[in-house]
Amino acid sequence: MRRPEPVEGADDDLRDLLGLAAGDARYPVDPGADLARARTAQRDRFRRRVRLGTGALALVAVAGVGTGIAISDAGQDDPGSSSAAVGRVRLVAEQLDATPYTFDLTPKGWSVQSQNADRVTIAPDGGGTSSNPDVFIGKLVILFDQNPVGGVRFEQDGRTFWLGSDSGYTTISTLTRGAEPVGVVRIQYPNNAGWTRATMVRFLASVHVGPGARPGLG
Amino acid sequence: MRGSEREAEFVDFVRAHRSDLVRTAVLLCAGDEAYAEDLVQTTLTKLYLAWAKVRRADRPLAYARTSLTNAFFDERRRAHRRRETSTGEDWALDSAVLDDDRSLRQVVLAALGQLGPRQRAVVVLRHWHDLDVIETARILGCSEGTVKSQNARALAHLRAVLGPERLLVAGEA
Repeated sequence: MRRPEPVEGADDDLRDLLGLAAGDARYPVDPGADLARARTAQRDRFRRRVRLGTGALALVAVAGVGTGIAISDAGQDDPGSSSAAVGRVRLVAEQLDATPYTFDLTPKGWSVQSQNADRVTIAPDGGGTSSNPDVFIGKLVILFDQNPVGGVRFEQDGRTFWLGSDSGYTTISTLTRGAEPVGVVRIQYPNNAGWTRATMVRFLASVHVGPGARPGLG
Repeated sequence: MRGSEREAEFVDFVRAHRSDLVRTAVLLCAGDEAYAEDLVQTTLTKLYLAWAKVRRADRPLAYARTSLTNAFFDERRRAHRRRETSTGEDWALDSAVLDDDRSLRQVVLAALGQLGPRQRAVVVLRHWHDLDVIETARILGCSEGTVKSQNARALAHLRAVLGPERLLVAGEA
């Protein structure tokens, strides 16, 4: 098949349109805020490394490293989490209503930011995360869908869960209960927000998927 | 390298290039400025943590753009991290409407939003950053043929939405 001939100046048209779509050539710039975030990330990384034993590598004999890692893992049920830096999130026995979803437990210091038929977004009180509920960075998100489950399978209290982790976030999935709409309910949480796997499983197990829930697409 | 030196270089870099990164992110995110800002923040933090690599790069801005694109795909790969926010509206070319730059911007962003993430990235890298097929394929981790086919499909879509008289773009050579 014959390819179309290049059109002179055509790419300039597209570049102009993209330039218009990209917005102002000079967005406000605050290097101080970026630097502060970067310093915080560096401190978190350092603490994480120390906790996982890499910090000890420079200080102790090689033979001690394995022990260091083992001790760190034993004290932290969520590998990769930096909860030590931010404190653990505590669940309290209060019902959390996010119709069509309800929870038997409530994460202290976190609040529902948005709820709809296929998901609930829960953000930490006090800001620090995007006000856009579709941006999940730094938040806890409960999703309902009919996609396949995946990850490491484990059983707890007679229920099956699947655990996956990627790029600083953990997702735990489980099938809905018999009387609930058919599908998979998942919780995705940032590893550095103070959640532990055990806490997260308890929270997920406390979710009730109401009849108004609709599985999300994608 | 001393910490203060790295911080000074980082601040200079942010001052010089942050706007460029935000604009790129806005295109990748099809106009979702909050999402774009999140991506840029994530990217700048990663750059700071790997500042030695930024310094060693022949073109630090190109390195940063690559990091931004990677951050965009990292986000996309996380299941359900976010949903497409496309309204699903069909934007048709209307010369009266498109006379206004602001409306035209919305039409272009909506058209980008109707593309898949990879097609959108191909358009941004090829036609906004002027990267060649080889470099685009390297950044996206795909074959050159994939870049060409994705680009052709993306341009066909943009041409259909924006109108051939406004976008006389040829297919990938």
